[in-house]
Amino acid sequence: MPAHSLRLRTGTLPRYRPPEPDDASTGIPVCRLYYKPMVNEAFIPAVLSLGTLALALGVIIYFVSRKFHVAEDPMVTIINGVLPGVNCGACGYPSCNQFAEELVRTRDTSMTCPVGGSDLAAKLGDSLGIEMAEPKPVVCAVLCQGSDNVAKPSAEYVGIQDCWAATQAFAGPKLCRHSCIGLGSCIAWCDFNAMRIENGLIVIDSDLCTGCGACIPACPTGVLVMQDKKADRIFIACNSHDRGADTKRACDAGCIACQKCVKECPEQAIVIEDFVARIIQEKCTSCGKCIEVCPTKVNCIVRLNDTVKSKQAS
Amino acid sequence: MKTFTVGGIHPPEHKLTASKAIEAMPIPAEIAVSMNQHLGKPAKPVVKVGDEVKKGQLIGEADGFISANVHAGTSGKVKAVKSAPHPGGNYSMTVIITTDGKDEWLEGCNTPAIDPTSLSKEEILRKIKDAGVVGMGGAGFPTSVKLSPPKDKPVDTIILNGAECEPFLTADHRLMLESPEGIVKGLLIITSLFEGKAKPFIGVESNKPDAVLALQKAAAGKGIEIVTLETKYPQGAEKQLINAITGRTIEEGQLPFDKGCLVQNIGTALAVYEAVCLNRPLVERIVTVSGMEIKSAKNIKAVIGTRFSDIAAFAGSMSEKTNQVITGGPMMGRSQFTLDVPVTKTTSGILFINNTMLTGSRERTCIRCGKCTSGCPQSLEPWLLATEAEFRRLDDAETYGLMNCTECGSCSYQCPSGRELVHWIKYAKALRNNRRQRKTA
Amino acid sequence: MEPLKLKVSYAPFVRSKDSIESVMYNVALALLPATALSVYYFGIPALLVTLTAIAASIAFEWMTDRIRRKPDSCFDGSAVVTGLLLALNVPSGLPLWMVVLGAFVAIVVTKHLFGGLGFNIFNPALVARVFLLISFPVAMTSWPVPFAVDMQTAASPLGILKTDGLSALQGFSYMDALLGKTGGSLGETSALALLIGAAWLFYKRYITLTIPLTFIAVTAVFTGIFYLIDPSTYATPLFHILTGGLILGAFFMATDMVTSPMSMRGQLVFAGGCGILTAVIRLWGGYPEGVSFAILIMNSLVPLLDRWDLNDIKAKKQQSLETA
Repeated sequence: MPAHSLRLRTGTLPRYRPPEPDDASTGIPVCRLYYKPMVNEAFIPAVLSLGTLALALGVIIYFVSRKFHVAEDPMVTIINGVLPGVNCGACGYPSCNQFAEELVRTRDTSMTCPVGGSDLAAKLGDSLGIEMAEPKPVVCAVLCQGSDNVAKPSAEYVGIQDCWAATQAFAGPKLCRHSCIGLGSCIAWCDFNAMRIENGLIVIDSDLCTGCGACIPACPTGVLVMQDKKADRIFIACNSHDRGADTKRACDAGCIACQKCVKECPEQAIVIEDFVARIIQEKCTSCGKCIEVCPTKVNCIVRLNDTVKSKQAS
Repeated sequence: MKTFTVGGIHPPEHKLTASKAIEAMPIPAEIAVSMNQHLGKPAKPVVKVGDEVKKGQLIGEADGFISANVHAGTSGKVKAVKSAPHPGGNYSMTVIITTDGKDEWLEGCNTPAIDPTSLSKEEILRKIKDAGVVGMGGAGFPTSVKLSPPKDKPVDTIILNGAECEPFLTADHRLMLESPEGIVKGLLIITSLFEGKAKPFIGVESNKPDAVLALQKAAAGKGIEIVTLETKYPQGAEKQLINAITGRTIEEGQLPFDKGCLVQNIGTALAVYEAVCLNRPLVERIVTVSGMEIKSAKNIKAVIGTRFSDIAAFAGSMSEKTNQVITGGPMMGRSQFTLDVPVTKTTSGILFINNTMLTGSRERTCIRCGKCTSGCPQSLEPWLLATEAEFRRLDDAETYGLMNCTECGSCSYQCPSGRELVHWIKYAKALRNNRRQRKTA
Repeated sequence: MEPLKLKVSYAPFVRSKDSIESVMYNVALALLPATALSVYYFGIPALLVTLTAIAASIAFEWMTDRIRRKPDSCFDGSAVVTGLLLALNVPSGLPLWMVVLGAFVAIVVTKHLFGGLGFNIFNPALVARVFLLISFPVAMTSWPVPFAVDMQTAASPLGILKTDGLSALQGFSYMDALLGKTGGSLGETSALALLIGAAWLFYKRYITLTIPLTFIAVTAVFTGIFYLIDPSTYATPLFHILTGGLILGAFFMATDMVTSPMSMRGQLVFAGGCGILTAVIRLWGGYPEGVSFAILIMNSLVPLLDRWDLNDIKAKKQQSLETA
């Protein structure tokens, strides 16, 4: 590397100088960049001045940090290290740190982190020396099966690709106004990558979903709900509060409130509320009889298998 | 010529139907009267399936203070009371009436004109309320509520809005030409409610000189000032109209009567006159049927509840190129997803257009040209509000005047990058309202 | 169901015909008289430089779009304008590989590394010019003489003023400067051709006159004061207006929408700053010409100027909340 290119980096500015006489042989003035070799003059003062500055600032920082020191319970740091640190807000606190502070302060065993589940509850209990309540593992469920070939379209939507924006223009690109709009506003709210859009319908990966619930208010039509995790979970995947005939016209998988499943259920676990059936999860034994009798073209009752982690398993 | 001080744009006017006289539309076989034709709570249906109704009969009762009565537009039989598509883009409770073609008025309605001076202030207000009169310019605020401002806010200026600044629309224009006497009488009734303390104005844009002449003739010697306004969008927006005529500015969060003003639409004034003097409830309105894709664009007098599909058939057919049907004007209207929607009290126009700008990815990055800022009549920074909305920084958006936006569309109209500025702003408002509701719940 | 397929979108349903393309291609059109004149004066090399700059800009735009996985923006006109402005900012004898390098700096470094059109802080063509000026000072200041036969070069009037003083400018004619018959870069030679283009842009309402007029007026006033103090050392304000890149800079670069403030107040400060800096650099700086540096320095202040307006809105809102 030629020597002058090194000097360039020391930060000397290019300076305009009048043309030297030999350059003027053509009679044309030209600009020339001009560097002065100044390694020793520049290097030593630079090291000295910057070094002194660093030392002085270091001393100031030391005294400032002593002066403004905030005493923090070391336990909070430990709990913070155990917590997932995603600040999803599912526990009711805005951040994991605030949850930790509150937990350390109150030692409230009922405080739970839905994201961490029972594993985390055990770890928190160990750290604090208390028995933490085990959170009920929940998972997000989509009360809609209106994918592109199941639900009838109303009109093509052109505009901002966001469910809330679409609902400002009209009831939604599907004829059923209670359906999943399918533009995925909720995806941005999911911290765990558990949601995706397939054929104009939101799909949830129940293994990735931690049940934090951040997506629920992000849905303008309210098709997202939280359900308890179950090895064999059955629910009615429809949100349409329209009358049966209207629902049937709009969607092949819509609950038409026909009462068949209500009558069939041996546990009386199914109720019809506002033209849509709902399975009471506590009573449901996952026998699957309701699925057999459902008359809709695409069965509106869905069976899903969740991976349920328990204390023993871990 | 008067105009508002800040911003404004000049879209092409396209007033195709300005010279077409109002035609009465024949009553279709079935009408769908929505219960949600006004601001505030929807009316409660008071008829059952199978009931016989007469023209002008109450079928929906005002539910709450800010709400309005709804009446049957013609005589017939109630076929269904159900949720049906609404031109606002959503569904609403709707009374569907099979008409009998007799078009019989209910007894006591449509009487010979009575002298409004014989009525007390309370009687006039009660008649307006009973007749279900709402603001017919577009917002649909119940007129009786608007006409009784709080006692501590004296109104000194009453403005009738005949600006009609939206492109295409000519309904108000034709109304001013064809029934200026009714409008003036309605305005005088409204003015009489304020016991001579308020001065009446009628603001008309300069592109309707014939309407100005007609009104001047009808209002001669009645103390009404007809103001010619510059043709500039959005001259007919409430805040801009007040600013143009009185020079006052309505600040964020203020209502017109905070600045001593009251604005009513031309059509509302006529409805007030008909309600008070002729005992006619609001069951009809003038609708401009226009757009490049309809065969015979015209102004029609339609019964409220007439479906768009019937109107399209009446105005010739629409061409195959039609890809959007719009209620209201092209700047602030709404595009429809079905033609089953009915005319409501606030439907000023139905436009059949071929919108060539509809492509999936027309939004591009802001090039900071500043046209949205210079065109904004509310002196906002639409580009900023849209960006804040895009990143869901709702608090910031609110700080920069989100709620002060009147959604006139001047910014989106001008944006060279095709950004959906108004839509983003509307989106931010929706998210904000949703968050508020959840907080209070 | 309906035979008719309706589309739903949000209001407004009518839009103005303006688009990024119409803005950019009109700017390009407005630059055409100056470009044509420079080709007339400087011959084939000028044409080559212009074509190379535009082609390279479009090519780099296309490549970065691929790398950034963005929709094609290479024909939205912004690359053409950048290329054209770059060409007008360099001498006609510049080696073509330097022009390509300049296009790279303009499109890739200045524009796309900052986020693409609309997000760049600095004017791409100006950054490229300054980059070339600092990297290749000799090539960038060898101004071919109009109608030159064998690549004969001469200093620009401002260069002569800087190096040899006012006395060396005896033969200077304002008419030549107006028509462009002086040494200089492609575009800074003819003030008249540029003004014709600017008039077109103003007529089409793509630029307002706030920035250019303030910029030029402040430069004129500032240099005028010193001319009045000592006419034997300092050149006349008219000389400063007509020579160098002031007209090009004021009408075509300082008015760049992306890199200028939005509000009238911000624009006044911006243009005023440009004017003062230009005059200061020309009168006492190291370089004979200061327009590029002045605009770039003021470009960096634009976010701050915009923030100024936003803070005012915030303060007004605060005030109304307090009174309410």
